[in-house]
Amino acid sequence: MSVAWIGDRETPFEQAAEKAAALLHASRCPLFTIDADTDGTRAAIGLAKLVGAAYDHPGGASLARETTLFTDQGGMFVTPGEARRRADVLVVVGALPDIHLSFLAELFTSPPDLPAVGQRRVFVIGNVSLPPGTDGLVEMLSCGGEAATLAALRAQCAGRKVATPVQNFDRFAEALAAARFPVFLFSGRASESPAIEMLQGLVSDLNRKSRAAALFLPASESGWGSTLASTWLTGFPMRTGFARGFPEYDPWRFDAARMIADGEADLHLHVSTWPDTAPANNDGIDFVALQHTDGPVAGAQVTIAVGEAGIDHDAVLYSSRTGTFAFKRAPAASSSPPAAAVLRAIAERVPGGAPDLC
Amino acid sequence: MLTRISGGEIVDPPNGRVGPGDLWIKDENIIEAPADGRADRTIDASGCVVMAGAIDIHSHIGGGNVNTARLLLPEQHAAHLRRPDGTPLSNAGWSTVETGRRYATMGFTTVIEPAMPPNAALHTHLELADIPIIDKGTLAILGNDDFLLSMIRDKASPDMIDDYVAWTVGSTRALGVKVINAGAAAAFKENVRTFSLDDVVPSYGVSSRRIVKTLQGAVERLGIPHPLHVHCNNLGVPGAADTAARTIAAAEGIPLHLAHLQFYGYGTEGKRKFSSAAASLAELVNASREVTIDVGQVMFGQTVTISADVMRQFAARGSAHPRKSVIHEADGNGGGIVPFRYRQDYYGALQWAVGLELFLLIEDPWRVFFTTDHPNGAPFTAYPKLFELLMSRDARNEAASLLPHSAMALSTLSTIGREYTFEEIAIMTRAAPAKLLGLEDRGHLGAGAIADVAVYRRDADIAKMLGRAALVFKNGDQVVTDGEVTHYRWGKALRLDPPKNPAMIRRLEEFYQQRYGLSLDWLAFPDSAIARDEPFGEVPCRA
Repeated sequence: MSVAWIGDRETPFEQAAEKAAALLHASRCPLFTIDADTDGTRAAIGLAKLVGAAYDHPGGASLARETTLFTDQGGMFVTPGEARRRADVLVVVGALPDIHLSFLAELFTSPPDLPAVGQRRVFVIGNVSLPPGTDGLVEMLSCGGEAATLAALRAQCAGRKVATPVQNFDRFAEALAAARFPVFLFSGRASESPAIEMLQGLVSDLNRKSRAAALFLPASESGWGSTLASTWLTGFPMRTGFARGFPEYDPWRFDAARMIADGEADLHLHVSTWPDTAPANNDGIDFVALQHTDGPVAGAQVTIAVGEAGIDHDAVLYSSRTGTFAFKRAPAASSSPPAAAVLRAIAERVPGGAPDLC
Repeated sequence: MLTRISGGEIVDPPNGRVGPGDLWIKDENIIEAPADGRADRTIDASGCVVMAGAIDIHSHIGGGNVNTARLLLPEQHAAHLRRPDGTPLSNAGWSTVETGRRYATMGFTTVIEPAMPPNAALHTHLELADIPIIDKGTLAILGNDDFLLSMIRDKASPDMIDDYVAWTVGSTRALGVKVINAGAAAAFKENVRTFSLDDVVPSYGVSSRRIVKTLQGAVERLGIPHPLHVHCNNLGVPGAADTAARTIAAAEGIPLHLAHLQFYGYGTEGKRKFSSAAASLAELVNASREVTIDVGQVMFGQTVTISADVMRQFAARGSAHPRKSVIHEADGNGGGIVPFRYRQDYYGALQWAVGLELFLLIEDPWRVFFTTDHPNGAPFTAYPKLFELLMSRDARNEAASLLPHSAMALSTLSTIGREYTFEEIAIMTRAAPAKLLGLEDRGHLGAGAIADVAVYRRDADIAKMLGRAALVFKNGDQVVTDGEVTHYRWGKALRLDPPKNPAMIRRLEEFYQQRYGLSLDWLAFPDSAIARDEPFGEVPCRA
């Protein structure tokens, strides 16, 4: 089976890897977008270091909002397991990605493991997609957008007056007064940074006298996993670059979409270990696609097909169900190579390059 | 490959070798001098001190909390890039790669991450595996988890407790067990804000003392070489010396290790109600042969506190510098990340003095361990300066002269003349940690030991001498030359593998399904998940 293409022409893997390495070597400002398992991320960052590339996640905007919460503010969080066990009031803040809907349904319908607490109370803020059949379980909190609602909620919880009270605040206050562990669920996909910051302010306020926490459900599990791996490997999250030979983190400068749109990047290497389409706008720059694909990717000078993480090969992936990394065993052996192996094969072919520690 | 390190001053107290001599390395191990005296290569170590590779028993180098600290503080790393000499935290080397590199250049070859949440073991091991050169190990945290507290409440048999501890240690690939503010994280979930040794966890009716004693007994019965590693209650609180004293008394003849004792060495004297109680604590440790401690020395400057003592970290949020922090709650301990700057003010100076008093007043170097609780008291890159303070009274006095007299007046530091010798340093940082952790193959330079060797060129400047090793060998590979890494390799994570009882696995499966809606399979992982060749090295339990 062919696994590599130069343009639209099938080619031996070695030749495609050579071509990719030559393009990387010739590039003055290479950019990687990484959507991979942990070992794939390791290998991609190793190659980025070797060729002086910057890297980001393909869904960089959501991930950047989530990362900014940690780099700029911090907060009070809880793991999904502990939320399932102890949360007696749930507040869903903003739309969550569909990947979290099954967990949401599980949370809505399972009782907390607390004495004398039956069903959880559920409130929502913003335009939230709910699991099928759960509409009747939730109560809406609203007085405008998410950030405005959270700000008003925070003010009202603190006993301050507001111009526009939050709809259903009394019911929320009553639930909160009886609650032992309210949990606020959010992701960076829909919620803007001010809303995320205001949410943390509310959680912090509540903890002055009682207990509360936020459950972070990332917009992209693989994106968050790559962020964590990048952080331990370089000290920095995604949107880091090696242009000067050492890692530099700059969430504006190394925004992949901006680098392509502004014509800064002269080569785009996209790694995706899932069925995916590459970012469309690669006009005018070299494009290398390492992707789970059956054929050449449109516009790519080089395409190398890689296995699907956890399906074609064993993989370690971030799981938002456990809030940490989990091992996923592939159901059957596959001839499709892991992205990590392909990336390391390219690194070995970069002229003058040496295998990096990653 | 047969290597002879020739003419150095060997400092290897466990084998009675202190003085000029040769050291022979064959492949990965130290050997007796061969009869024919021929080597493939000879290294001239004249003018150098030759010791075993150092072992750090308590340094937060990897795992979810450490990584969250990195995420929280990207500016610290950036500061490091611009001003390497001015920002101590940054000098810690914030990435896994830098961690291995910087430890190696100081002659450290094994480092223990002391706080692994069992449910996030895979994350911890992924990070440890990405730390090059050195070997690692990690301690599994128990003592705030619902399963254990429920078993204690329900009066489970010692056998069942042992089965659970054995399963945790084995499945998480740990080298021992740590308990952190036993019961406090569980109590914090119930909105309890302070918690001491005889306080009781709501909903469980179990005291902190009972949790510690339960785990101490299990560790002893299972033959886990490292005694239960205890982070006591009331860390950082004035008067915490009383809590530490009561915990020492609770050892009752069974080995117990108290972590970062400096953070408990505080009395309540003086107008600020914050004084040094180090002398009385040291006296207690001296009299309690079953107790070992590490110090957790404070050094001045910016750092970040990283702890699974979520109650304490929550309370410390207000002192965050810069003003941001992360508190997170989990199935067991959770944790907190609070950046902090130790200033040369009254409080900082007193903490600094308390640590040094403990080092200098605890007489037996086999029972006091060299740590800064990296990065809680200071980054590990402060070690060279700390060695100097321990080995030179003049250096101590000079540093103390710059600090507030009011603080020094409530400490005995100025009256202490002791200076650590190289032999004592070799015991405290090599032989004793190896013994404490059950690592018979290292910490000394006897035949058969792994060839983890640090060679330091003698220098009147102790910090310079011990901060940049002239040569370091890891498993016989020369990895450092003249203070720079010249060869990278991957070390192993050292682990125990006590037998697991299938009945306990079934019970845990049921527990996880019921409490968390998860199969136990979510937490399991094969060695291959780490994606490195031979990522683990097995250490036997005591017979």
